[in-house]
Amino acid sequence: MSALSFERLGKSYGEAEVVREVSLTIAEGEFVSLLGPSGCGKTTILRMVAGLVAPSRGRILIGSDDVTALPPNKRGLGLVFQSYALFPHLTVFENVAFGLRRRKVSGAELGRRVKEALARVRLDAYGERFPRQLSGGQQQRVAIARAIAPQPRVLLFDEPLSNLDAQLRDEMQIELKRLQRGLGITTLFVTHDQGEALSMSDRVCVMARGVMQQFATPEDIYHRPATGFVASFIGKPNRLQGTVATRDGQGGSLRLGTGLILQAAHIDAAVGAKVDVVIRQEAIRLRSGQPEPDALAGTVALRSFSGARVQYVVRLTEGIELIAETSSSGPDSALDPGTPVSLVIDAGSIFAMASEGAAA
Amino acid sequence: MTSASDSDDRPGSAVTMAALAVIVFLQIPVIVVVLAAFSTTSYLTIPPRGLTLAWFGKVLSDPSYLSAIRMSLILACGSTAISLVLGVAAAYALFRKALPGSEAITSVLMAPLVLPAVVIGVALLQYYSLTGLRGSLFGLLMAHVVITVPYIVRSALASLSGLDLAVEEAARVLGANGFEAFRLVTLPLILPGLVAGALFAFITSLDNVPVTIFLISANQTTLPVLIFSSVEMGIDPSVAAVSTLLIAATGIILLIAERRFGFHRFV
Repeated sequence: MSALSFERLGKSYGEAEVVREVSLTIAEGEFVSLLGPSGCGKTTILRMVAGLVAPSRGRILIGSDDVTALPPNKRGLGLVFQSYALFPHLTVFENVAFGLRRRKVSGAELGRRVKEALARVRLDAYGERFPRQLSGGQQQRVAIARAIAPQPRVLLFDEPLSNLDAQLRDEMQIELKRLQRGLGITTLFVTHDQGEALSMSDRVCVMARGVMQQFATPEDIYHRPATGFVASFIGKPNRLQGTVATRDGQGGSLRLGTGLILQAAHIDAAVGAKVDVVIRQEAIRLRSGQPEPDALAGTVALRSFSGARVQYVVRLTEGIELIAETSSSGPDSALDPGTPVSLVIDAGSIFAMASEGAAA
Repeated sequence: MTSASDSDDRPGSAVTMAALAVIVFLQIPVIVVVLAAFSTTSYLTIPPRGLTLAWFGKVLSDPSYLSAIRMSLILACGSTAISLVLGVAAAYALFRKALPGSEAITSVLMAPLVLPAVVIGVALLQYYSLTGLRGSLFGLLMAHVVITVPYIVRSALASLSGLDLAVEEAARVLGANGFEAFRLVTLPLILPGLVAGALFAFITSLDNVPVTIFLISANQTTLPVLIFSSVEMGIDPSVAAVSTLLIAATGIILLIAERRFGFHRFV
């Protein structure tokens, strides 16, 4: 059964169309991320679902109810804001109780449900504190407890982790996912961070310039990007220019710069067309020693160690520079600058699509 | 950092002396009036001769002073209350950009702060003569609303601008309707600023002569207008006594406001 669905949902501000005809259906208990760069319309969609922005076109359904015209207080949703938006004049207890009190819950029942929500986020002992007396991470958890306490039909998150430091963010990702699984609550999560979206979601909806690019599982989004935008937005891309040399089914070969030929499994342009080429950094493997047949040759220009990963800047003999990323414990993790290497690139990780300029 | 720059930028002794002189000069009239109220002489004199509370007794048993005090309090309380409702509503709408031309509307609302009070008085006198409001309590009350509403609008706008809009949205999503969200979240958060604005409005109304004097009828007058006309007729310590009462009342209100809401943050 679908818990939340959009039918040709759109929003315009004057001439500017910020969300274009987005239709999707989210299943009961599913965790879906809206992923895209800033200005892609993802936050506008979330605010339309919450009732804080009126759609210009289309319908929003929660369960089987059309809520498009309902005010926010009649939708029965939970929303966690980027700024947390806790009520500074109320205690943690009263913050969490706010939604319950609006639903006429009182007395022992109120106390029990507030405590239960606070226990879910491990803040049982903080009920009498005020928000300003809590750390950023604790405030975040209060905001989550406040949103889940009234048992909303759908839980919405607006970039909730972007104000936390990196370590806390990783912890919260896991905690949030566990919480969502435990409650079995349908969740729509807005983020610009692909790591967040891929690691937490059952399905990811990638947005660009108001248009839904792809709505699929994280694995599909990563390995089988539906559009050039998704290919270049997901993962860590090298972006190059080239022309299509030959076509063969979905793929073919590409000519880069001064005569470098690459096999690519996904080409979205005709022979001879100028294309943008995306090669994932993590799809390039480096081998020192004897050049392998079919491999490109180059030299390590720079090595950059960042803990679990190592990045290399490799200069190909054709004069092109590529960034390659690898595990810092792998066989190719300790190559010094100046080392001649051969590059093995999986054709499935190379994507080519008509250049923005050339396509017009 | 501040302490270091404080010591570096400490004003020279000449500036300090000048500042002290200005403060003393500004405070002297207040001190003089208070002292004069306790004098046993039938004219104002400094330093006071003798010590008596007789002038306070005279003021508080004089029906014309009592009715003027009552009139002033009715006007000050009434206009502050009306200004609070209108001013907060206006500031809220302006802040939410709910209407076009909000800049222009703000300017119009704030205009009484910069227009000479005498001009407002004359203008209202003409307007009231034409509409038949002249001499009515309602007309006078509305005049005081006009001169007090800018203080409320200003303090409400200042308080609202420091507010995270998402806080009210959070209340809405949690099930509060528009009015509940305002009453339960926005209003408590801007309340300290509103108290400050209301105090300014109250004192402005209580203290107003230049607008009021054009609009009052023969049989109703306000305290400052009565003081003003008493002084014209010849000054005796009862004027000082009533002024002292006014100063004391204002001081007590400010003290309570400071204790309760940290008033100084909004001045």
